[in-house]
Amino acid sequence: MIYLDNGATSFCKPPEVYRAMYRAIYTCANPGRGGYAAAMEAGKVVFQCREAAAGLFDCQPEQVVFTSNCTHGLNIGIHTLVRPGAKVLISGFEHNAVTRPLKLLGAEVQVAGRRLFDWEDTLSDFEVQLRRGVDAAVFTHVSNVFGYILPVEEMAALCRKYGVPFIIDAAQSAGMLPVSLKKLGADFIAMPGHKGLLGPQGTGILLCNRLPKPWMAGGTGSESMNQEMPEYLPDRAEAGTLNVPGISGLEAGLRHIKRQGVDEIGQRERYFAGQCIRLLEDRGFKVFSGEHQSGTVSFLPQEDCEELAHKLGRLGIAVRAGLHCAPLAHESAGTKDTGTVRISFGHDASYRQIMALKQGFARIMD
Amino acid sequence: MINEWLITFRSVTFAQRAERALHGRQIPCRMQRTPKYLTERGCSYCLRLRGMDALRAVEILRREKLAYEKLYAVDDNGITEERIL
Repeated sequence: MIYLDNGATSFCKPPEVYRAMYRAIYTCANPGRGGYAAAMEAGKVVFQCREAAAGLFDCQPEQVVFTSNCTHGLNIGIHTLVRPGAKVLISGFEHNAVTRPLKLLGAEVQVAGRRLFDWEDTLSDFEVQLRRGVDAAVFTHVSNVFGYILPVEEMAALCRKYGVPFIIDAAQSAGMLPVSLKKLGADFIAMPGHKGLLGPQGTGILLCNRLPKPWMAGGTGSESMNQEMPEYLPDRAEAGTLNVPGISGLEAGLRHIKRQGVDEIGQRERYFAGQCIRLLEDRGFKVFSGEHQSGTVSFLPQEDCEELAHKLGRLGIAVRAGLHCAPLAHESAGTKDTGTVRISFGHDASYRQIMALKQGFARIMD
Repeated sequence: MINEWLITFRSVTFAQRAERALHGRQIPCRMQRTPKYLTERGCSYCLRLRGMDALRAVEILRREKLAYEKLYAVDDNGITEERIL
């Protein structure tokens, strides 16, 4: 299979990820719950992953909270910052993982910056809305549909300037672009473990710069007499037994990224996305591309996008079509009625994938 | 005579950070569950270290801003007493 759906999840993880998970299942009991060897080993595995993540994202290990996915982390962050009816500023490229929790809370959502790949538009619109007054902001680092890399450093600086607490959705950037909790100064940064961080599904990370409201309450292995959730990180946000095999695999993924280098991985993905854009344009598709683009490309074929994705799938080429759980982003780009076909490269991007795409299109269209 | 020291922490993560810091400075210590009679709020973890290393260990933890809860001296008879260094 030629796998080009890394925006959904990275597939075929580095071999050490599988080995780490296998080892954890055989050697780890419940972390933080006992003093015997298998419990201490589990605690060690979890701590090593916290340390690796803290190193990669420029924070302290206790600021790394393990979640079950990025959506879980976003929900914790949103429910901490947003009260019902609050005014919340979001970008025009948000995923349902942001918009649905806001809808659930009855937040008054204001959208800023709807032009693709246009930092000037994004920033000026964002500042106008901030100046009018909002209670919180939530924005993605990279659009999951179009690969638009938003100017998050500048957006973060604006939020700090206007004293607005904010959350960054790093679902499509963690592992591919530098993400620093310290530098961005976000209240929360949420990310999945199973995409760019190369861990297994069922893992995620929430970086915390403030104490979150407990989204779930329960045992933490600490302060058992206290019937409130502990007032410190990470325990406050980690009720119940952690996914130790998953976290072990995630730690192996993080080590792999550290060896390869985030910049190198990102550059590789962007290079092959550039090659892909040329190929798609040569084929006459409407391609959504521009400056500030990640390794993700969306295009509009002449035929139905799901039909084309289906045909590519039958040739063993995995891409994703439709609305990509992000109707707002499609609305911003004017593709809400048609959807798009999305090609998203991963850490293993290669010429082989480009050649397979070229041959695939030739077989379908020529 | 003081034989060993126990340094207690709020959570396993804090204890792990402290253990890492002390090992990095060649101070031998072992992480374990805090004895029940020392925990007012329930489960936690502590570091057990040699009597001779306590002062240096506490200095390192303070310098690296690794907050511990309490410090206990354990004498030859196994009697534990809270101390402030």
